[in-house]
Amino acid sequence: MKRIPALVVAPVCLALTLAACSSGGSSDSDGPVELTFWHGYTEADGDVLEQIVDDFNAAHDGEITITTQVNPWDVIDDTFLPALSADNGPEIVAMPAERLPVYADRGAFVELDDFYADDEATPDLNAGALDMVTVDGTAYGVPTGFVPLTMFYNKALLDAAGVAVPTTWDEWVAAAQALTVDENGDGTPEQYGLALADHATVGNGVWPTLFYGNGGAVVEDGKAVIDSPENAETLEFWHDAVTAGKISPTGVDGVSGDSLFSSGRVAMYVGGPWMATVSEENGIDYGIAPIPAGPEEQAASAIGVSMALTRQADQAQQEAAQEFFSYFLSREESVAWALGSGWPPLRTDITADEVDENPVVAALTEQAELGRPLLPGVVNSTDVLTAVDDLTQRAMAGEPVDELLAQAQTAIQAALDD
Amino acid sequence: MTTAHAAGSRKRAYRAPAPLGGRGGPVRQRTRTGSRRTRTALAFLAPALIILAVFVVWPMISALQMSFTDASGFGRAEWVGLDNYTRIFTDPDIRDAVLNTVVYALLFTPTAVVVALALALLLTNDRLPLRGLFRTSLFLPFIISLAVAALAWSYLIDPQVGLLHYWLRGVGIDLGNVLQDPTLAMPAVALVAVWKNFGFYMVIFMAGLQEIPGSLYEAAKMDGAGAWSRFRHITLPMLSNTTAFVLIFALIAALQAFDQIYVMTGGGPYGNTQTVVMEIYESGFRKLELGFASALSYVLLLATLALSIVQFVFFGRREEES
Repeated sequence: MKRIPALVVAPVCLALTLAACSSGGSSDSDGPVELTFWHGYTEADGDVLEQIVDDFNAAHDGEITITTQVNPWDVIDDTFLPALSADNGPEIVAMPAERLPVYADRGAFVELDDFYADDEATPDLNAGALDMVTVDGTAYGVPTGFVPLTMFYNKALLDAAGVAVPTTWDEWVAAAQALTVDENGDGTPEQYGLALADHATVGNGVWPTLFYGNGGAVVEDGKAVIDSPENAETLEFWHDAVTAGKISPTGVDGVSGDSLFSSGRVAMYVGGPWMATVSEENGIDYGIAPIPAGPEEQAASAIGVSMALTRQADQAQQEAAQEFFSYFLSREESVAWALGSGWPPLRTDITADEVDENPVVAALTEQAELGRPLLPGVVNSTDVLTAVDDLTQRAMAGEPVDELLAQAQTAIQAALDD
Repeated sequence: MTTAHAAGSRKRAYRAPAPLGGRGGPVRQRTRTGSRRTRTALAFLAPALIILAVFVVWPMISALQMSFTDASGFGRAEWVGLDNYTRIFTDPDIRDAVLNTVVYALLFTPTAVVVALALALLLTNDRLPLRGLFRTSLFLPFIISLAVAALAWSYLIDPQVGLLHYWLRGVGIDLGNVLQDPTLAMPAVALVAVWKNFGFYMVIFMAGLQEIPGSLYEAAKMDGAGAWSRFRHITLPMLSNTTAFVLIFALIAALQAFDQIYVMTGGGPYGNTQTVVMEIYESGFRKLELGFASALSYVLLLATLALSIVQFVFFGRREEES
């Protein structure tokens, strides 16, 4: 009999703990409005973001307090969903931009059309970045990053081979051939001209970038357009270039591509802005150039990050969060954020001169107009990207391109329809 | 009362029918003080039962409920009846995932069981030196998290920086990019699971082997039975309970393959290692179709249960026959 109280106490304790967990982040009527902000900026960019949030808190002392919590990008979804379902999520969350539409579509986020109508900064924002926060014509987020994929090259290797930085596809392949070295003649080069990922590419953008170059695309106006003669040409061109010249290792993904370039085994690489810091850390003397122009166009798929306001925020919290968005997008903070994060400014009225103290940012700012949003407004981006990976991986393995494109077309259209 | 010595001697004198069978208290005591003992037992069990109820039973019930809705994990969910279940049986992606899971199970289960049995036989051999050391080191992988093991293995077989790759190239074998090879990726992820899990099955087999009375072998030897026929006609039949247990365990583990696939291949190359659990994860956490993911989980649960029952019946019948 003595033990029965213990039986009662245990669940009560448990219930209390759970209740205590879920009470975080709410706003009292007296104290400051409290907001939780989840993001995945873990490097130097994280420190700058903390600084921006601290400054904001200091400027709104006693009114608004934002607490940040770091969740790396690759797991932010996995933690965000359970938190949302437990009503215990953040009020503000930043995530890879192509992940925003699915949450918006399921009703996780607050519509921000009024914010866009009122805020003075928004007309100057990069149009591609805005596309990535818009679903069915409604804005559900604020961009925190938008950067076109760019070409990193190893200056030492290019100089040694006497190769100029390529500006067209043909020059690119020729340069890659000149930079591919098989010293012992065993058929496996020790140094590759290029690391061309065939799946899970950087920002899922390498192949969309190449498709744009020849005038193709993956999805346009909500319709699958991948099965086109232009894309067939693109796939054949790169398959032939890689097979004939062995200019790139096969089976590369974004992660292994990053490490191939930073270990100096690859001379040219299509990557994201973090490759600048990664290269410096690994002692690679790198240069940045725009993606070489394709036969039809010069364009690059962009990596986007967006932040959104969750429906868990009450009225006061929603207003406070929008106050923060305005602050974040203000001219001064935009410049500070660009310089600190290494990503180009999101406002088009900030010129490369204003950010030239960080040469990487200045270089990327000049390329900003090449950037195209990845699958804007596509709710089921997961299945679309899987279909693209499937296509490129098989095509690079030499399977017949026409059949693959037809399959990809069907799969992508099905993903867009459901 | 239950010192190690007493327990040991009783074990020797009284042979439990099942290798993993517990030793119950004397029957006489139970009837007299039954209700009090039951209450004490319940009190001791309570913490575990409460945790089980809160973290297992309740989620299972709400998942069942969710499987009949279009829930996304938050917000409102609409009742959709059996839609999720009919989709499971019509969706070609699910069919592919089921086939992949079957292939994985066929690669993993027999390999793990055979390796475990072979090593158990070796390690119960008195003539083997340093048995304790081998036993421990072979069991070690089991206590490592599968995700950690998978990461370590991906580095080992990485075509650019992999140590295993480097060594094999030294003797003229080029592995290629195993995890990106559509035919080799699945055997590779299965092998990692074998490496991680066989230690556990091996220990169970060793327990089973120790239950077989030495007199049987002595008698067989006297009748002139060789090593193979002793194994075939004594060890295997006497181990059938253990084998059934290990097989069911290994099969359940196989049907739930996820960790190392998520880490090593992400379901690729081109969906060739996409298992049912990977599909559940993707539906739930990537596409926010938690209702569909729950339905798929329930179908997997029922399939696992059905397979286990079939195995139980099969081994039960064999036992009766012998």
